[in-house]
Amino acid sequence: MITLDDVSKRYPNGTYALRDIDLRIDAGEFVFAVGSSGAGKSTLNRLLIREELPTTGRVVVDGQDVARLPRGRVAHLRRKVGIVFQDFKLLQTKTVAENVAFALIVTGHDGKTVREETERALALVGLTQRRGHFPRELSGGEQQRTAIARALVMRPKILVADEPTGNLDPVTTWEIIKLLVRVNELGTTLIVATHNAEIVNALRRRVVHLDHGRIVRDEREGQYAA
Amino acid sequence: MTRALYIFTAAWQGFSRNAVMSVASTVTVALMLLLFAFFAVTDQGLRSAITLLESKVELTTYISDDAKISDILALKARIEKDAAVSRVDYVSKQDALDSLRKLSAGGTLGPIEDIGTNPLPASLEIKLARAQESGRVAEELRGEVGSGVITEVVDNPQIVDQLLTITRVLSIGGIAVLAMMLFVALFVIVNTIRIAVHARRDEIEIMQLVGATDRLIAAPFVLEGMLVGAFGAIVALGGLAVGAGPVTSTLIRFLEILPVTLGPAFVTQLAAGVFLSALLIGAGGASISVRTYLAK
Repeated sequence: MITLDDVSKRYPNGTYALRDIDLRIDAGEFVFAVGSSGAGKSTLNRLLIREELPTTGRVVVDGQDVARLPRGRVAHLRRKVGIVFQDFKLLQTKTVAENVAFALIVTGHDGKTVREETERALALVGLTQRRGHFPRELSGGEQQRTAIARALVMRPKILVADEPTGNLDPVTTWEIIKLLVRVNELGTTLIVATHNAEIVNALRRRVVHLDHGRIVRDEREGQYAA
Repeated sequence: MTRALYIFTAAWQGFSRNAVMSVASTVTVALMLLLFAFFAVTDQGLRSAITLLESKVELTTYISDDAKISDILALKARIEKDAAVSRVDYVSKQDALDSLRKLSAGGTLGPIEDIGTNPLPASLEIKLARAQESGRVAEELRGEVGSGVITEVVDNPQIVDQLLTITRVLSIGGIAVLAMMLFVALFVIVNTIRIAVHARRDEIEIMQLVGATDRLIAAPFVLEGMLVGAFGAIVALGGLAVGAGPVTSTLIRFLEILPVTLGPAFVTQLAAGVFLSALLIGAGGASISVRTYLAK
């Protein structure tokens, strides 16, 4: 599903965000990317949606070398790779349902599909009852669930979550993690970048530990710290 | 349908939420278009005048008293074949004398004495279709002076040159003024849409993340630019409708010796031209803004 071959990302000032990364993630896996701030977790996520290009090496997502994708095909790659962020990135002037439907509308789906798929995604994240509320009327957890619904409504093969619980209290954090586990059980490949040792240790999924841009540990049923 | 509705809604929201900027841009674009339209009206008036003056440019070829009528007719036919010539009139010795007598009787000239014989030569009066070729036609005919038919060729190269200079200045000046107006209007729209893009950068970021194409992201902004252009055109055409009467009558009074007309066909063409230019500038300016942003 995802292959990184000898990938390095160097910024113009000479700093390496990622260095000599070899990584293979199979379809249906749940992978935690852990490491301190600046370890390269977010850069790894941005490479997968081609928000950044590798300086050297090859990033292959669902059989496509992302660096070789023409600009016009990047949009199609992003329909396969959903992404959620720590700060939710919701549109404040749209309701929960409108935020979710927005993804389908701007990717050219017809009205019937927009209605049906929006309802399905809202039901999956448990927000059907809150569909008419605006983001400012929601808790942090509900906002993150809206963001997850917006990503899932496109039925992506891969879901990348960049510090999805960074802004949430412990109880809400677990709600979101349980939701992500359920999404993974439904067949979506999950990559979760996190600082949260408690959830990594509790779930015992694959852990890829990054330090100064290098993979220093890759364990099948790993813990936050070795 | 959903996508089209989104594009229209987003474009209208962009225009109405940023009302102060949108109105300011619309007014600026309207003023530019109004100047453009005013220039087009003036240009049309002056061009009509020039065309009329050009049609008055003519050459006169004086014919020898000894020339045979068959040679004169052959010369006339030859001149008529020239593409630069629109008409050739033969003026006989008697016609010339009659004209002179008429002028005299009308008081334009003083009384003329009857000297028994007609001293005036017959002539061919040549009207030109293309005033700029007057020099060439005159030179060719001068080459035949003394060959038995033509005795003299009279033209007025100075007037023709002046007319041609005015036409050239009008053409180049017109294009320059037009380009300037359109550039200013384009610049205004580029900046308006740049602000709209900046105001909706979060929405654009989300659209990019969920896989919207650049074309769809740009569409509402392009439509918003066209809205600014269209409203600007409506205001400008409204202003033109109010001001057209006094302006054209002044223009026609100013050039009252010339039959300058700004008919309904010209007015329709002008309105369509202003509207189409406004839409194109709106779409073009918006495209420049949004594409520049997306290419970052």
